[in-house]
Amino acid sequence: MIPERTVEKALRGKLRFTAGSTLRERLLAEVMNAQQQAKGTEPALHESGRKLRIVRNPVVKLTSVAAVIAVAVLSVALWDRFSSRAYAIEQTVEALQSVRFLHVTERDDTGQITDERWIEIGEDGYQARYRQQNPAPRNFAVVEDGESTGVYYHDRRAVVLYDRSQRQYQWVSSLRAFIENLRWEGRILKRNDHYQGRPAHRVWWPAMSAECLIDPKTKLPVAIGKVQLSYETPAHETFEIAIPEGYSAVDRRPGAAAGPAPQWLVEQEAVEENIDAYFRQGAHALARGDYEQAVENFEYIVRNDEFSNWAWFWLGRAYYGLGRYDRAVERFTRILDALGDAYPCRYCNYARGLAYARLGRTEAAEADLRVCLPAMIHTLTIPSSGWLFEFADNPMIQQGRDMPTNAEIVTNMIHRLRLITGQDFGYDPNATTEKNEAAIAAWERWLGDDGQIRLPTDGWPAPPHSVGSKRDH
Amino acid sequence: MLEDELLKWEFRRGSREALARIYEKYLDSMLTLAAGLLNDVGQAQDVVHDVFVSFAKSAPSFGVRGSLSGYLATSVVNRVRDRRRRTRRQADGSTKRIEPAREPAAPDDAVIFTEQAARISQVMAELPDEQREVVLLRLTAGMKFRDIARLQQVSINTVQGRYRYGLNHLRSMLNGEVDE
Repeated sequence: MIPERTVEKALRGKLRFTAGSTLRERLLAEVMNAQQQAKGTEPALHESGRKLRIVRNPVVKLTSVAAVIAVAVLSVALWDRFSSRAYAIEQTVEALQSVRFLHVTERDDTGQITDERWIEIGEDGYQARYRQQNPAPRNFAVVEDGESTGVYYHDRRAVVLYDRSQRQYQWVSSLRAFIENLRWEGRILKRNDHYQGRPAHRVWWPAMSAECLIDPKTKLPVAIGKVQLSYETPAHETFEIAIPEGYSAVDRRPGAAAGPAPQWLVEQEAVEENIDAYFRQGAHALARGDYEQAVENFEYIVRNDEFSNWAWFWLGRAYYGLGRYDRAVERFTRILDALGDAYPCRYCNYARGLAYARLGRTEAAEADLRVCLPAMIHTLTIPSSGWLFEFADNPMIQQGRDMPTNAEIVTNMIHRLRLITGQDFGYDPNATTEKNEAAIAAWERWLGDDGQIRLPTDGWPAPPHSVGSKRDH
Repeated sequence: MLEDELLKWEFRRGSREALARIYEKYLDSMLTLAAGLLNDVGQAQDVVHDVFVSFAKSAPSFGVRGSLSGYLATSVVNRVRDRRRRTRRQADGSTKRIEPAREPAAPDDAVIFTEQAARISQVMAELPDEQREVVLLRLTAGMKFRDIARLQQVSINTVQGRYRYGLNHLRSMLNGEVDE
């Protein structure tokens, strides 16, 4: 028999598959296109749980919808050989890839559903059909049947039909990226714990900035934060666009019988176009410190889209920049109230805490800042946990610029921590890894020892994005 | 390795050049890995396409601290596993035979490989999935046993055992077919 090393050599040297030049270029073009389309995508379970992101460009649609997951079915039996005690995050990642239907619900304190979504994942792993409904006060619904998108304007008693390439709605911007984040950076907090009276593993999911509860049997998440997840097959009509009695249908799909669109819809669509432009202008204005312009832009957006949480947030940052801390607090509070406990919004607590502090409301400031500390210190060891702080501090990230590295995320978080506690435990971006690891360990001990907020008496930084590293815009 | 760290840093910041460089650098090795795992160049091409497209889209949240090649190889393995499961659902049990690429009209728009590569790939297909993964990840992607163990969620000893069993099987199957 041939020697082992000969087989190794043959595999290394002779097992070689090469892409032909045309294939190589074609694939490269698709890859580059995917990168281009991914730029400017918002992160966020936290926001889009309440706020819809409308994607008009069909290519953006395809890339962003890459969302949800390849369809190969995981045989649960494959994983049964692992006991629940031997749970590994990879099992959840694999289990998620076998999901065909996703049912997402959120409830208020009385148990009433405030947000409900159904997502069907197609054989190709992309979002195939979708349904979302929010009862009053939002009173909104949308259904995608795979070809068309029906938007229900209950106040107008109308259903507007769009081609799916014109409009698409989604739960998170890129679930696949989120799942990859879970695979690589998720951390098991506690195995074999309990959740609502049933066994569950607790996992920290950095990109979600939330704790995730895993069913030990199916390995699937049953909750992320306070959002409930289940995977049952929905009723047949769930993804059918039905026109309720007394409602009119307005067909905006290409090739539809020509007819004048109602004036309210024309205005509505014009506003949506403006919102996109105002978002860009507002982000640039905020980044260059033109707070008055930013206020103007973001005020327009929230007047026309009250569920645009990022607009509310950056409006708050703009008021903070103008020294209108009271108004900043109001805007931040609005977001925190809207998101509730379901979507912990620590960057917003942080921003409001600073605004309270500037108003001299020390107790309120400390309460807000204290609640941020675990997530902030968590970032020092798992940098992606601090991603939303970066996104919040620098609206240019949403515009596809200034993407922070992990090292920058950590350094910026140290700046924030130093600001609100007066300590840095010797962390220095230019120091050795060992020294900085010791500093991070000291932060963790400090938190465990009930470390206290210590607000500065002077030397406040210029808001809003100078908390982190300076960048040219 | 240093170049990879720089590429990761630039890729995360949205550099198109970095992505193109990563693609050029790892396309063929990932294609080889996928083809070896699947014994099917068409599917391998699809897998590698999906891996790179997904990778390109992950830039905003990309935060891998380990090796780039390890990350890509792991992505390939995961997608291959997905395909295997899907295929098993429709399974006819037969083993496909990989053929030198002839399907596309334009040769340049195909995956190019030799008869010997096809033969090795065919023999590889005889190995159990876990052994094939270990052998290919080790020899074509250069992954460490420790990282493969993490991917397969078994001990490093198990991985080394799978590697030895896999190689022994290949030795007997390829006896006389490869140069010593």
